[in-house]
Amino acid sequence: MSELKYDVVIVGAGIAGPMMARDVAKAGFSVLLVDKKAAIGSPKQCAEGININVFEKYGIPYDKRFVNREIYGARIYSPSGYTAELRYKNVSGVILERKVFDKMLAFYAAREGADVWPRAEAVDVIRENGRVEGLKIKREGELLDVRAKVVVAADGVESTIARKAGINTYAPPHEFDSGYEYEMLIEGFDPDIIHLWFGNEVAPRGYVWVFPKDEDRANVGIGINSDNPKTAKYYLDKWLREHGISTNKILEVNVGLVPVGGFVKELVKDNLMVIGDAARQVNPMHGGGMAEAMKAAAIASKWTVKALEEDNLKLLQNYTEEWWREEGPKMEKLLKLRRVTEKLTDEDLDVFVQILGGTDLEKLAGGKYTEIIKALLKNPKVMFNRRRLSLLKELL
Amino acid sequence: MTREKFRVVVNDDKCYLCGGCAGVCPTLAIEVGASKWRFIQEKCIFCNICVTACPVGALTTVPLEGEE
Repeated sequence: MSELKYDVVIVGAGIAGPMMARDVAKAGFSVLLVDKKAAIGSPKQCAEGININVFEKYGIPYDKRFVNREIYGARIYSPSGYTAELRYKNVSGVILERKVFDKMLAFYAAREGADVWPRAEAVDVIRENGRVEGLKIKREGELLDVRAKVVVAADGVESTIARKAGINTYAPPHEFDSGYEYEMLIEGFDPDIIHLWFGNEVAPRGYVWVFPKDEDRANVGIGINSDNPKTAKYYLDKWLREHGISTNKILEVNVGLVPVGGFVKELVKDNLMVIGDAARQVNPMHGGGMAEAMKAAAIASKWTVKALEEDNLKLLQNYTEEWWREEGPKMEKLLKLRRVTEKLTDEDLDVFVQILGGTDLEKLAGGKYTEIIKALLKNPKVMFNRRRLSLLKELL
Repeated sequence: MTREKFRVVVNDDKCYLCGGCAGVCPTLAIEVGASKWRFIQEKCIFCNICVTACPVGALTTVPLEGEE
């Protein structure tokens, strides 16, 4: 059996994995990126919406081959049908085609010198002298020992590699959302904005989304608490039925869990790093993980390159420190906001969305929401309701 | 009260191999490959978390009593 040696081996070619493979390979180090899927990017577990700023921020070409549609804002719907809308003059986000996007990210990594293996499954870590020396990888029926100075777990929500290596990434069931989504023909929704429906009967603890990919084609999905006795599919099919939308024109079905309840504390253990969904690095308000994966990959790459250049793997620990310093406070704040929104009744949602109709919603998603909270607190429907008042004051 | 012991079984026709069950399993008793779902009985602690979390209801349990 041949033994393979790399500076860095990365498990998982979603967003975080290829981004890190690209950056580390670009610095001149040998990288192997593996993914168990036969086609990188498919199947996806994603609604495919992302902020427009990530392309420039992370040096990703704005390639129309993976941009389905440019988006100018969002509209939210309360249980009784109140709406609040946020609309920009310029493009604020895009709906991607992940099966092309992820593949291109892996291609950029390959172009910088990384080796990329699809249909290669990391089955276990190689542990010697109390540390992780590499990975056992099954590829086309052959079990290979791949040795590496740095091992990166970017294996998504399953997060099995980090756990097998001894990093505790476990989270209890109420910290996950169950997601279910159709890409389908759908008409009657403004295709220039995304649409989000809230309500305890609509989507317990989560929301229903319509993310347009075309004038009359969209990702229509749902996220609910994963410890709910009913399934995400049940709630989405119910919503579609109630809106008179046929489920006979479906192009794709996507399923997955989303870690939304907190972040892995220990992101590095010796020479093993954990990034992206595997580290639960997901925005807890909207459940989006792509931008956070990019951010984590950028920080992890920077310290991996430094550690390899200076031949000092202790520097890898700086990834944990920098992520928690740079991203931690914002993410913890969003988590707190999420925990408050979980307590809202349908009536609360109606009242809040009604009031929000006249405020600057942009700050809500970005974590700079104190002005919105203050605006809500001034409203009589909040001011004279002790419970709403105390819920909102928790956030100030 | 002792927990009922069971085997977790997958309905292949419903399962999308999304790996969510493997993600919520506290003991790594489920492994999801690109084309295969695998349950490791010895590791299962009968918590039922995977069954509830599955977005499409593809998992069920079969009591172990009388099977062995």
